[in-house]
Amino acid sequence: MERILSAIFSREPYSASRNFLITAIFWLVLGTSVGLLASMQFDTPDALSGIAQLSFGRLRPVHINGVLIGWLSMGYAACMFYIIPVLAGRKGLWSELLGNWTMVLWNLAMVAGVLTLLNGDTEAREYAELAGTIHIGGASIQILDWAVLVVLLLLGVNAWMTVMTGTEKKWYVSIWYFLGALFWFPIVYIIGNRAFVHLDGLNDAITGWFYGHNILGMWFTVGGIGIMYYLIPKFTGNPLYSHTLSMIGFWTIGMFYAPTGTHHILQSPVPEWLKSVAVISSIFLLVPVLTVLTNFFMTLKGKWSTAADHVPLRFAISGGIAYLLTCIQGPFQATRSVNWYIHFTNWVVGHAHLALLATFSFFVFAASYYIIPRVTGRKMYSKRLAVWHFWLTLYGWIIMVVDLVIAGLVQSAGWHHGIPVDQWVIELVPYWWIRSFSGVLIVLGQILYMFNVYKTVFSPRQCEELPHSPTGIIYV
Amino acid sequence: MRINYFVAGGFVVLIFLVIIFVTTVLPASTFRPVPTPAAHQYTPKELAGRNIYRREGCFYCHTQFVRYQDRGGGEMVLAGDYMFETPHLLGTERTGPDLSNIGGKYADEWHKAHHRNPRKMKPGSIMPSFSYLSDKEMDELVAYLQTLGAGRKLPGWVAPPQEMRDEYDAIKSHVNVNSSAAANAGRGIFMQNCAACHGIRGLGNGPISLTMEKKPANFTRPFYKNYSDAMWYWRVKEGVPGTRMPRWGQSLGKEQMLYLVAFLKTLPQDSQPAGAEIHSIEQVDDPFALDTNFKTIDNMMKTSGNPYGTSRNLGESR
Ligand code: HEC
Ligand code: HEC
Ligand code: HEM
Repeated sequence: MERILSAIFSREPYSASRNFLITAIFWLVLGTSVGLLASMQFDTPDALSGIAQLSFGRLRPVHINGVLIGWLSMGYAACMFYIIPVLAGRKGLWSELLGNWTMVLWNLAMVAGVLTLLNGDTEAREYAELAGTIHIGGASIQILDWAVLVVLLLLGVNAWMTVMTGTEKKWYVSIWYFLGALFWFPIVYIIGNRAFVHLDGLNDAITGWFYGHNILGMWFTVGGIGIMYYLIPKFTGNPLYSHTLSMIGFWTIGMFYAPTGTHHILQSPVPEWLKSVAVISSIFLLVPVLTVLTNFFMTLKGKWSTAADHVPLRFAISGGIAYLLTCIQGPFQATRSVNWYIHFTNWVVGHAHLALLATFSFFVFAASYYIIPRVTGRKMYSKRLAVWHFWLTLYGWIIMVVDLVIAGLVQSAGWHHGIPVDQWVIELVPYWWIRSFSGVLIVLGQILYMFNVYKTVFSPRQCEELPHSPTGIIYV
Repeated sequence: MRINYFVAGGFVVLIFLVIIFVTTVLPASTFRPVPTPAAHQYTPKELAGRNIYRREGCFYCHTQFVRYQDRGGGEMVLAGDYMFETPHLLGTERTGPDLSNIGGKYADEWHKAHHRNPRKMKPGSIMPSFSYLSDKEMDELVAYLQTLGAGRKLPGWVAPPQEMRDEYDAIKSHVNVNSSAAANAGRGIFMQNCAACHGIRGLGNGPISLTMEKKPANFTRPFYKNYSDAMWYWRVKEGVPGTRMPRWGQSLGKEQMLYLVAFLKTLPQDSQPAGAEIHSIEQVDDPFALDTNFKTIDNMMKTSGNPYGTSRNLGESR
C-alpha cells in the first residue's frame, strides 16, 4: 500500500507520465468494453432490458467519455509529460507532484463521471455529457465540467512552466503543437459546457457543435500530430523532413479547424453563411493534413522496411495511413452534396472510429510502447503480445469502419428510396452484428495490451540501465 | 529569440478569438428567428418529459429535424420552431425515425406500450425497452412526445409538385379514371388496403383508427371535391407525412393507384354527412350501423380551415 501511494504521489522524474499511462489504459479497456456492450444492444435488444443503467442511452455517453476523456486525453497527457521535458531539456516536469495530483484528480473525475452518467445525470450534449450535477440552494452546478477544466489548466500550467524553465531555448514543433492544444482546449471546453449562458435552440446547437468539432480539431488532432512529430524522427533516426511544412501545418490548423463545427448540422435551418464558412474551412483542412502527412512520410523515407521489426513504428505508420483516410473522408463528407446523402447514417459513426480509434489511439499506442520502457526502465514484457495487440486492433477497426460505411450507404439508399426509417432499420441488423464482432477483436486486443503493460510495470527490473537504443526497437 | 515566440503566440490567440467571435458570438447575436406556432412553451409536466428524453439518451437514436429530402418525415422545420429548445435535441444518428412530427401520430397508450416493449408494437425493432420508467415518468415522456410538431402547419393549400403532375400526365391514359368500371376496380383495392383505416365507406373510422391520434381522412367531406386527379394520385402515392397514412407508391402498382383515384373521386358528397359519431369507431361485425346516425352539419366545413387534411385540425382541438 505504502509503495503504491509513494508511486502515485511521487516526485521522481517521469512518474506522472507513467501513472497517467497506466490509468489511461484502464479507461481504454473499460471504455471499449462499454462500447461493445452498447453495440450488442443493437443485436439482442432485450438481453439486458429493464436495467436502467445498462440501457443504450446510458451506455453510449459512458463509452464516449470513457474513451475520449478517460483514455485518449489521459494518454495525451502521459505523452506530453514525457515529451515536453525531453524537448525542453529538463529531467522531468516542472512539478512531478503536481502532475501526479492532476492524474489523481482526473481519475476521480472519471470515476464520478461514469457513475453519474450511468445513473442518468447527463448534460445531453454530444461529447459534453459529463455533468455531475449538484444542487446548492436554487442553483445547480455541474462539478465534473469544472473538474475537467481544472485538470486541463493544471496540465497547461505544468507544461508551460516546464518549457519555460527548460534549458533548450529553441522550441521543436511538438512543443508548439502541445502548447497550442493546451491553450485551445480549455477555452473550447468552457464554451462547449457553458452552463452559465442560456442560448435559444439553434444557437445552442451552433455553439454545441463548435465544441463538438473542436474537441477533435483543437485537441485530439493537434495533440496527436505533436506526438507524431516527436516520434517519427525518433523511430526512424531520420531528421524531420521539413520544419517549414510543419509550421505551415500548425498555422493552417489554427486557422481552418476551429470554424468547421456547423458542418455537423448542415441541413438544419441555421444561417446559410455559417454553413458556408464551415464547408469552406472543412475543405481547406486538406492543407494542414497534406503538409503533415507529407512531412511524416518523407521523414520515413528509406526506413519503411524497419516497420517489420519495430512494433511502435507499425502503430505509427498505420495510424498515419488512417489519418490520411480520415482526412480525405472528412472534407469529402462536409461538402453539401455528399453530406446530404450520408448525414444521420452509420457512415458518420464509422468516420468517428476511423479518426479516434484508428488514428489517434494508434498514435498513443505507438507512443506508449516507446515511452513505457524509458519511464520504467524495463523492456516491454512481451513483444508477441504487442504484435497481437497490433493485429487485433488493426483488423478490428478495418472491419468496423468498412462495415459501418457500407451500413451507412445502405441506410441512406433505403431512405432515399422512400422506405420509412422504422421499416428499413431491420436491414441494418447484420451490419450491427459485424460491428459487434469487430468490437470483440478490438476489446480483446486492448485486454492483451493492458496485460502487457501492467506486467511490464509491475514486474521487477531486469537490469539497472536499459541498453542504449535511440529508436527503441529493442525495447519491444 | 523568445520574443519571436511571444509575437507568434499572440497571433495564435488573436486568430482564435476572431474565430470564436465569428462562429459563436456573431450567430448568437444576429441570428434571432421569430418563434413559429410549432415553437412550444413546455408546461412543467412536458418539461419533465423532455428531461427524461434527454436522460435516457433518446436523442442518440432519434433526430428532431426534417430535411428537405426526408419525404416521409412530415413538414419541414423552420428556424423559429426551436426557440424554446434548450439544450437542443437535434441529434446526429437516425437509427430510429425522426420525431419532429410525432405528436398526434399515435395515441398515448400506443406510445406507452411501445416504450415498455417496442418489439410488441413493431416486430424486429431494435429500440431499447424502457420498461423501467415509472408510470409517472411514462406519462411525462408521452406528454412531451405529443407536443412535438403539433403546431407545425403548412401555410395553405398544397398542390401536387410539378414532378408528380408530370408523372400523372404520363400515365393517366392507362386508366380512364372517370369510368365506373375503374371506380369499381378501385373499390376492391380500397377494401383490401384502406378500409381498415379509412372505413368501408371512406368515413375515416375504420377499426384501426382507434389507435390513431391523427385520424384517417374522411373522404365524404365536400372539401375533397376540390381535389384534382393528380392530387389524389399524389396523396395515395406519397402518403401523408407525419401521420400513419402509408406511402402506397412503395407497394401498389401505378395502375392500381389510378383505380384508387377513380374510386376516391366518387366519395366526396355535396354536403357533409356527419354527426357526433363520425369518429366513433366502425364495428367490424356491423359496418353499416353508422348509417342511421348521419346528420348534415354545415359548419363542419368551416372548422376544417386547413385544406391540407384533417389531421392538423384534430391536433388543434386536442
Ligand atoms: C437504440 C436506439 C434507440 C433509442 C435509444 C430510442 N429509440 Fe425510439 N426507435 C428506435 C428505432 C430503431 C425505432 C423504429 C422501430 C420502432 O418503431 O420500434 C424507434 C421508434 C420510436 C418511435 C416511433 C416512431 C414512429 O414514427 O413510428 C417513438 C415514438 C420512439 N422511438 C420514441 C423513443 C423515445 C421516447 C426514446 C427514449 C426514451 C427512444 N425512442 C429511444 C431506436 C431507438
Ligand atoms: C394505417 C392506416 C391507413 C391506411 C391503411 C390507409 N390510410 Fe389513407 N390516411 C390515413 C391517415 C392517418 C391519413 C391522414 C389524414 C390527415 O391528413 O389527417 C390518411 C390520408 C389519406 C389521404 C389524404 C387525404 C388528404 O386530406 O389529402 C388519402 C388520399 C388517403 N389517405 C388514401 C388512402 C388509400 C387510397 C389507402 C389504401 C390504398 C389508404 N389511404 C390507406 C391512414 C391510412
Ligand atoms: C479507442 C477506441 C474507440 C474510440 C475512440 C471510440 C469513439 C467513439 C465515438 C467518438 C463515438 C461517437 C460517434 C458519433 O458521434 O457519431 C462512438 C460511438 C460508438 N462506438 Fe466507439 N470508440 C472506440 C471503440 C469502440 C469499440 C471497440 C466498440 C465496440 C463495438 C465501439 C462501439 C460504439 C458504438 C456502438 C457507438 C454508438 C453508435 C451509435 O450511436 O449508433 N466503439 N465511439
